[in-house]
Amino acid sequence: MDILLASCAEAFRLLFSGDPDTWEIIAISFRVSSLAILCAVPPALVIAFSLAYGNFFGRRLLILLFNTFLSVPAVVIGLTLFIVLSRQGPLGDFKLLFTQTAMGLGQFLLCLPILVCMVHVALQAADRAAWETARTLGASRVRAFFTVLYEIRFGLMAALLAGYGRIISEVGASMMLGGNIAHYTRNIPTAIALETSKGAFAEGIALGIVLLFLALMVNALLQYVQGKGSINP
Amino acid sequence: MIETFNIGFRNIGKRYGSNLVLDSTSIDISSHNCIVITGKNGAGKTTLLRIIAGLEKPDSGVILLDDAEAEPWRKQRKRLLKSVMYLHQQPYMLSGSLRRNIEYAARLNPALADRAASVAKAIHWAGLDGLETQSAASLSGGQKQRVALTRARLRDPQILLLDEPTANLDNESRARTLQMLREFCDSGTAIVIVSHDPEVFDELATHKLQLQDHRIHAETGSSSDVIELKSVRHSRQR
Repeated sequence: MDILLASCAEAFRLLFSGDPDTWEIIAISFRVSSLAILCAVPPALVIAFSLAYGNFFGRRLLILLFNTFLSVPAVVIGLTLFIVLSRQGPLGDFKLLFTQTAMGLGQFLLCLPILVCMVHVALQAADRAAWETARTLGASRVRAFFTVLYEIRFGLMAALLAGYGRIISEVGASMMLGGNIAHYTRNIPTAIALETSKGAFAEGIALGIVLLFLALMVNALLQYVQGKGSINP
Repeated sequence: MIETFNIGFRNIGKRYGSNLVLDSTSIDISSHNCIVITGKNGAGKTTLLRIIAGLEKPDSGVILLDDAEAEPWRKQRKRLLKSVMYLHQQPYMLSGSLRRNIEYAARLNPALADRAASVAKAIHWAGLDGLETQSAASLSGGQKQRVALTRARLRDPQILLLDEPTANLDNESRARTLQMLREFCDSGTAIVIVSHDPEVFDELATHKLQLQDHRIHAETGSSSDVIELKSVRHSRQR
């Protein structure tokens, strides 16, 4: 118990003293995960929209596949991309392995199914009349698309937060694709794994507290947004 | 004032899986028409409206826009969506205020010169003054119907399709809705109404049709496949 308390105290000291190594790791985590989710949002919206409103061959199979991808472990995504990006792999010439781009790619693939499935559910729960009303009022497909997105904005926000929460805390793909290189691909989860293996619990807990704090912020934001969206707040 | 037009839907067929909904159904719609369609639940009335609106693709049949040659569905849908407006039985209100709902429609009509003035005028036309900032979701059924008709007025369609527009409305709201519909008719807009209560539209209707056995018939009981609308009994006194 004493060790835990001492580690917590050291963790707060590291955080609030502005320890450059700790904050660099935090910055890498935020940069990679933010870029990954920003890149995943547009295709996820288009796919979710097509699945919800489209009527094409293989639609049900796609829904099934995306739902299945929700439960794929991060390490499996990491391993698959590792093979693809390794020197012998089809994309080996791009020399992306052990870069932040590779980590971002892994996180992109991790959050895409979450975004697709949650937006798809939000669209299905929304009244289809929103789309039809916009179209029949003369809105183009693109305009009607954004109108519907605005109508489901609370569900959309929940999807974004869930996706972000998933990738900021994953360790398997980042470890395999980034290699946990100091000052370059070391992010919060891989650093925690490393510090723990070295016995440097204070650093590990400090970074864990950052993740917890982030999770708290994400959930508080989600609760706030959902509260705003309810008819009887 | 809407220019004169004629849109013909010939031998329209539609089925959902094994369920036949429409079978060689034909209908012509011209400016100033007010067509009231009745029929049992599940007869295909709403499906017909949705096909006319371009929201549903028919399985078979020909659509003749201004007597032009039949075109591929993609082109026809585009033209239908441009000239036809469909009002759901429960009009959908966009989230936000009543004003946002009206302004949304105004923004989509590039022909409106002074948008703000048009919105204010339309709100006044519908008798919705004072409710501009109220949440559209909290409006009564009658008020929502008026918002939908106000959006339609700003959209200025050639054809206005209404699915049970007076269902669940009190007498006052019903009278106001009918008055608004009459103004649409007077401006040349064709109106197609689906209703279980066709008597409500006696004053307004130029044609009354019945959808039965997957086809349109004159209410008098004619079973001809193609109804010549001019021959249908009601002719509105102008």
